[in-house]
Parts: sequence; structure tokens; C-alpha cells
Amino acid sequence: MMFWLIADIIKILIVFAGLLGAAAYLTLLERKIAARIQNRMGPMEAGFHGLLQPIADGIKLFFKEDIIPAGANKFLFLLAPIIVVIPALTTFAVIPFGAPVKIMGHTVPLQITDVNIGILFILALTSLGVYGVVLGGWASNSKYSLLGGIRTAAQMISYEVALVLSIVGIIMIAGDLSLAKIVSEQSHMWFIVYQPVGFIIYLIASTAEMNRVPFDLGEAEGEIVAGFHTEYSSMEFAFYFIGEYAQMVVNSAIIVTLFLGGWQGPFLPSVLWFLIKVFFVILIYLWLRWTYPRLRYDELMDLGWKFLLPLALANIIVTGFIMILLNR
Amino acid sequence: MEALFYVFSFIAIFSALMVVTMRNPLTSALYLVLCFFALAGFYVILDMQFLAAMQILVYAGAIMVLVVLVIMLLNISRIKNIGSDLHQKIIGGLISLILFAEIVIYIINGAEKKPTGIFTGALIKKIGNTQIIGEFLFTEYMLPFEIASILLFVAIIGAYLFAKKKY
Repeated sequence: MMFWLIADIIKILIVFAGLLGAAAYLTLLERKIAARIQNRMGPMEAGFHGLLQPIADGIKLFFKEDIIPAGANKFLFLLAPIIVVIPALTTFAVIPFGAPVKIMGHTVPLQITDVNIGILFILALTSLGVYGVVLGGWASNSKYSLLGGIRTAAQMISYEVALVLSIVGIIMIAGDLSLAKIVSEQSHMWFIVYQPVGFIIYLIASTAEMNRVPFDLGEAEGEIVAGFHTEYSSMEFAFYFIGEYAQMVVNSAIIVTLFLGGWQGPFLPSVLWFLIKVFFVILIYLWLRWTYPRLRYDELMDLGWKFLLPLALANIIVTGFIMILLNR
Repeated sequence: MEALFYVFSFIAIFSALMVVTMRNPLTSALYLVLCFFALAGFYVILDMQFLAAMQILVYAGAIMVLVVLVIMLLNISRIKNIGSDLHQKIIGGLISLILFAEIVIYIINGAEKKPTGIFTGALIKKIGNTQIIGEFLFTEYMLPFEIASILLFVAIIGAYLFAKKKY
């Protein structure tokens, strides 16, 4: 009993520290990749090749004046950035990040908790992230923030449907909602081979869920200043960024778990395989951001409802047919 | 478990009260989200994780986002003067009377019953409640399930027709 409690606490601490550290250093990675794509150097001053830049940014934001606009709903204004971070950090609780290890005669699974509805747990929590953005936009008492909030709310609802439906094919093949089971089902073949369309839809829809370019209509700098976080400064602003980048790590981990075989791989230790795959998927997200221009608002809605949604439905039907034909 | 039940009950009742007493519609909507969370907590206590996840995913994650969106679009920050309509008062009073009567009847007659049937708690834990719900939906309760989906489909078409109508 005591052993499991301590093991769980240690796992939670590792995941927390890992996620926050990764979120901080992703800001640097993003700037470095952007610089490489645009043929420049990126941050070079703080530390070797800008390695201390995230810490410098953090200190700067921490000591900045905390401005709350006049007429803002103070409670919701402060609550909104927190709501963004919580779902992003909590989602990782069900993701298995390594093969079970033996410690003192016990087999400890490298996963904080294996709930039997793992996928649904993830979907339910990620669907809540939108509240932080929407509330932040509303509570700021500013036109641009409100516009950003409204845009984001409409966008999230449109893309969530496609996001959920793109996973159904995986659930059908694996026959289970638990993520540990889904990973062990992929020991022979990764699910991306069976579900390439599902993978593409998930990649696009999750980019939209995270509000990243080319789907960052909620904060479009060229049109509505900075959208929902126009009025934010200091640590509240930093919280929005931590939330966004933690969400990116979590989404990559979900993609790795569902489509790329989770922690499984030859030769190297399982945790290392997991990290390598997650890093690879993060690179895809960054690459997407610095390659495509922002969509127009009607194009965004068209893509979500008229292209991704029918495609996801067709994917489910085709998967079902093939499974019946192969008698699985 | 019992302590958790009381915690969730308190949150559910408190947030439900706040939903109807708050003057600001957006705060009301947020308390409703809190209420849904408390209900999801009840489902988890009852070993119905699937229903709990669906409660959060569908109600808190989708429907309430739409409600919040509409409130933001209408830009109603505060209800100024609540009109007191005699009709509403009569209907509301009747409904609350009926509800109260139901609760009284339930408390008087509803003795604790042992669950019957083959699906014991241990069996549900073994198969997983999601699988059981799926199996029942697609075998025994096929017809109600399909009727519900047709109803939703009709609602979608209706919404489309309303939105398309040019005035």
C-alpha cells in the first residue's frame, strides 16, 4: 500500500516536472525552428545558442506588472488562464510512457493511472480547454478579446467532432478504450498503417484544437491585435503559453500512443522510444506552423464541417466494412 | 465513498442554486458546468465511468460551450429587471409541487432494494461497463436507440431549414 502510494507520487512529480520543463523549452525550440525555416539564427544571447532563453523569459514575465483592465470581471479574468493549464496537465495521467518496470519485486506500470475509459477521459478533458480561452476573451472587457473568444469557441466546437470521430477507427480495431491495452495491441503493427486517414484527420483537428497556425483565428495578430489574450500580461499571459505548449506535448503523446505504437520499439529503452516519437510529432506540429499561412474564417469552417467531418465518418464506415470482410 | 457522495451532493446542490439565483447569465452558465462535474462525480462513484466521461464530453465540453457562445454573442452582461409573469409563476409553482410530491412518495415508499439480474458489480468490473452499455444499445434497446437518432436527425434538418430561411 505504502509502496504504491510513493510510486504514484513519484510518477506524478516526474510527469509534472517533465511537462512544465518541456513546455518551457518548447518555446525555445519553436523559435529555433522558425529561425531555421526563415534562414536566420534565432535567440543567441542568453546562454549557449540561447539555451537559457526560456528561463530569462520566465523571470521577465514573473516580474512584470500585473495589469487587470478596468471594467474586467476580475475573478473570471484570473481564473481563465488557470483553466487553460489544468486540462493540459491532467490529460497526461492516463498516457502510458514506458514499459512496466520491476522495482523491489513489484511490477510498476509507467502510467499514472490506467482507467478503463482512457480515450474518453482524454477527449473529455481536452474539450474543456476551450473555456479558458473563451472566458479570458469575455472577462477582459475588450472588443478584440471578445472577438477572439467567440471565434475560438465556434472553431473548437467544429473541430472537436472530427477529432472524436477520427479516433473511433482505432477503438474499433483495438476493441478497448484503455490506453495500456491499445499500446499492447500495437506490438505487431502500428495503427497508423491501418488508420492513415484517421491519423491525418487527428493531426489537423488537434492543431485546430490547440489554436495554432494555420488555425489560430482566435489570436490572429493581423486582424484582432492578439485575440483572446490581448489584455493579459505578466504570469497570466505566461499561463496561456504554458497551457498551449503543454497541450502540444500532450497531443503529441496521444498521437504516439494511438497511432505510432506508444512506447514500443526495439533495442532502446521504452521511455526513450516514447520521448523520441513524441519529439518527432512535435516537430511536425512546429513544421506545420511555419509552413502554412492562416486560413480565412469561412475557409476554416468549410474545412471542418464539409471536409474533415464527412471524411472521418467515411473512415469509420470503411474500417467497419474491412473488419467484417476480414472477419476480425 | 460516502464522504465523496456528500461532497458531490453539496457541490451539485450549491451550484444548481447558484445557476438560478445569479444575475449574470455567464456566471450562471459556469455554475451549470460545475453542476455537471458534480453529476459526473456521482457516476464515477456508481462505477459508471462511461457515463461520467460522456457527461463531461457532451454536456460540459460541447453543449455548454454553445450556451456560453450564445451568451457572449448576445452580449447580455446582467439581467436588468426580471419581469414577473403570472403564467410563469403558476406553472413553476405547479411543477415544484409535483416534484416535491414525487420526492415525498419516493422517501416513504422507496426502501433499499438489492440489485437483481445477472450483472453483478464484479461482472461489470470484469467486462467493463462501456462494453455492456454498447451491447445492450445494439441488441435489446436497438429500437429506442434508432428512434432517438432519427429524432436528432430531424432536429438537425429543422435547424438547417430555420437557418436557411431568408426574411
